[in-house]
Amino acid sequence: MGGRWFGFVVVVAAAICCAGVIFGAWWVTFLAGAALGAVIPARLAMPAGSLAGLLAWGVLLAWEQWRYGLGPAAHSLAAIMGFTQLGPVVPVVLTCLVGLLLGLTGAWAGAATRSVVFSGQSASSR
Amino acid sequence: MLNNPILRVINLIAALLAAGAMLYVAFFGVSPLPALGPAFNPSTGAWTMAADAVGVGNQTLHLAGLQQPVRITLESDGTAHVVANTDHDLFLAVGYLHARFRLFQMDLLRRTGEGRLSEVVGKAALDSDRFELQLGLLRTAQLEWAQASAVSKMALTAYAQGVNDRIDEAEREHQLPAMFTLLGYQPRPWTPIDTAVVKGDMTQTLNFTDTPLVMALLDKSLGPDLTSKWFPLLPPNPQSPYDPGPYPTAAAPAPIASMATLTDQEAASAAALYQRLASLPPGSIATGGASNNWAVATTKSASGGALLAGDPHLHLTLPAIWFQLTEDSPGYHTSGVSIPGTPVILIGHNEHIAWSLTDAQNQQTFFYDEKEDAAHPGQYFWQGAWHSYKTVSYDIPVLHGATEHLTVKLSAHGPVINERGLTTTVWWAGNLPSQDLDVVLRIGQASDFKAFRDALRDWYAPTHNFVYADDKGNIGLISAGYYPQVAKGQPWLPMPGTGEYDVTGTVPYADIPQIYDPPSNVVWSANQRQVASDYPYYIGTASNFFDPGYRANEIHRVLSQDRQLGATDMMALQTDTRDFLASEITPLLVQALATDQLSGGEQQVREMLTNWDYTMAVDSAAASVWWTFWQDYLAQTFDPWWRAQGVKIDKQEVIDMLGQDLEAWTLGDPSNAAFTPPGGPTQTATDVMRKAFHAAYASLKADLGPDPGSWTWGTLHTRVLDNLAQISALSYGPRAERGDANTPLAAGGSPSNHGPSWRMVVDWGTHTFSGIYPGGQSENPASSWYLDRVDTWWSGQYATMLTANQAAKSPGAATWKLQS
Repeated sequence: MGGRWFGFVVVVAAAICCAGVIFGAWWVTFLAGAALGAVIPARLAMPAGSLAGLLAWGVLLAWEQWRYGLGPAAHSLAAIMGFTQLGPVVPVVLTCLVGLLLGLTGAWAGAATRSVVFSGQSASSR
Repeated sequence: MLNNPILRVINLIAALLAAGAMLYVAFFGVSPLPALGPAFNPSTGAWTMAADAVGVGNQTLHLAGLQQPVRITLESDGTAHVVANTDHDLFLAVGYLHARFRLFQMDLLRRTGEGRLSEVVGKAALDSDRFELQLGLLRTAQLEWAQASAVSKMALTAYAQGVNDRIDEAEREHQLPAMFTLLGYQPRPWTPIDTAVVKGDMTQTLNFTDTPLVMALLDKSLGPDLTSKWFPLLPPNPQSPYDPGPYPTAAAPAPIASMATLTDQEAASAAALYQRLASLPPGSIATGGASNNWAVATTKSASGGALLAGDPHLHLTLPAIWFQLTEDSPGYHTSGVSIPGTPVILIGHNEHIAWSLTDAQNQQTFFYDEKEDAAHPGQYFWQGAWHSYKTVSYDIPVLHGATEHLTVKLSAHGPVINERGLTTTVWWAGNLPSQDLDVVLRIGQASDFKAFRDALRDWYAPTHNFVYADDKGNIGLISAGYYPQVAKGQPWLPMPGTGEYDVTGTVPYADIPQIYDPPSNVVWSANQRQVASDYPYYIGTASNFFDPGYRANEIHRVLSQDRQLGATDMMALQTDTRDFLASEITPLLVQALATDQLSGGEQQVREMLTNWDYTMAVDSAAASVWWTFWQDYLAQTFDPWWRAQGVKIDKQEVIDMLGQDLEAWTLGDPSNAAFTPPGGPTQTATDVMRKAFHAAYASLKADLGPDPGSWTWGTLHTRVLDNLAQISALSYGPRAERGDANTPLAAGGSPSNHGPSWRMVVDWGTHTFSGIYPGGQSENPASSWYLDRVDTWWSGQYATMLTANQAAKSPGAATWKLQS
């Protein structure tokens, strides 16, 4: 898989994640990661899933920042979570991390499942 | 990659475990983190508070249930003006408006009263939930709804519809307040009963007291003799009742000197219940009120019209308990503040009258020890026969825990709230259905004192001092509510539940404290006892039920000055920090020190006190000396007795009463035996004052340094506005603050979190209406309307209360058009 193809896959996956997140179906990020793991080579699936999750959640966060400004909300969320000392960056990082981890764990689970399910077929075809 | 099948399986297991863990945290959260998926979803999670925070613009909104279009104008600070073509639509729009800006607060208030906090915060709230369900706010609310008038039912139903319109809209558009997302639940639909529960919350906060339990424990430890002397029926200090009489009959109140001796069992039960109530969250028990209101008639008014001022003192929270708005419809034209969760303006004005309220403080809570025996399980003895307790069952859902089943037992007196030792029930006026909403609706339509007074006839609890001023120049004050009378016994202690001591009625409405257009041309209340010593009915003891009276005395002093008063004088008096008690005691202290041996520093402090104007200003060092001295004076006088008698009650709990005693003895009985500690040398007030002064000087020097000039009050005394959800980082302060517990600008304790929750001044001569509350219209901490009024309030300034038409022309105003 070339770099361009990889980038295309990540962007498509991120777009699917975005659509899910916008409608409240945040778990679509996990499913998109799992789908990547199931269809693309394992060595690429996890980076692709992670990037797609990070991209989707990060872009949507940036969109909210552009529309409304997230400073006061980030301060408030940090306060509510008890992270006042660490500052408003905590909820921002946490949000991106959630997207990333959902994509990563989805891709990992997809790839690992694929490797077990199709291991017998691979051996016989050889 | 992994050619070994075993490694592949291990990899799969590891992947599934990681995925499972991530999904678990994302779906359910791990303390202290919320469910990460929905909470941090950038588009529909807690981040939506950013969108909500940017302010509002002109909008057209579609609300189910509207009969005709409604217009809402929002001033640049969020003050709302609702103009509706029908009364139904008015209340529906107010419900929508409240929910739009205060939905989480409303949900928290109803959950508190309905015993459903554990459902969303877990078992930490279980004690509170059990207590609330036992006490019965929910049962009372259900009765109130069943007995509500047609008008009230219309208002409550429309209001609930408006709230639910907003809940539907918020869920549809993923705009629920962030706290719902972070706590992981969605608000259930609002009902009229929820509104009655919110009203019940306020009633409980203001007049459910544990004072009879405190008195019982004092009686047991200090003994009946000292308790009756130090905690008397009538206040020992000089006070300013607003209703001086004459009163209808000449019956003398029963003297407290014959205070009963409690058995060990009675005292143990009282102690158990006292401990239980003490462990409840703040606000569950009334801890003494602190509100002011007054009115000035035209004769004393510089503008030629009546003046009215009101500042109810409550727990200061963010968001505030108040939401400011005007309500205009064919039936209502009111402006002022409402409590989110209720559709009416509780304090404000209409086209002809203005009103405000303070807590009346009379005793509305009575405890009964039920007679039981082993031969009659599940029964109590009352009026000569054994009766079975009625029972009501509740399920309390608990977050991350098993649902708790609770059975509440009810006797003829009320719910059982303690079964450790004796079974104790409580008769509380707040458990009587009181159509307060109907009363406030009628007040909103009143145009003269007769209509105002007639409306208040149906107000039972909590008892309030309603001040009144109208556009014709009339003023009045009436302390509306139930004043329960018992057949016999000592209601300031827990009483036997056998029937002879039951509440038999209330003071007739014509006889309750009230006054209209008095010759003095002023009326005032500040939680003081409203009537003089010859009032013929029992309304509570001086101990804790009523305020010590210093604020009332100061207000009376200022209003009685021989000069014309204007709105600016009303504002100045609301932020007056002159300590009346200090003005009485400090001259005596200075005199006592004149013949005492003082160090150079102490001489300097004495000079400071000599030249002090008794104001508790932030930069006043004398204020710090006075306050520290007074605390030491109390301690030097009473601590030896507390230790010798083994009193278990925290002295601070009864400090108001002890302060009244100390004031009275210092002014008129300086040789009182209380100044001599048990087994110690004979002392007088002068001796103890000198000791207290030396102790105060030493402690201030140790804490604040050797220079008395630097001991400013602001270094000792601060104020904080608590976040309602107890998230300290979202609170405001602590910030240096003027005033103290005795000043009209009330700021007891430090950090003080209780004080003027709304300040309003009305001048009917100029038709100007001013008001301010600490906080802002929005509960969203990211919104500029969360804190925007705090500085204005803090500095003692006011905002003009505009009409809807004025607001529409004000800079930065936005208009919402509401359609079905």
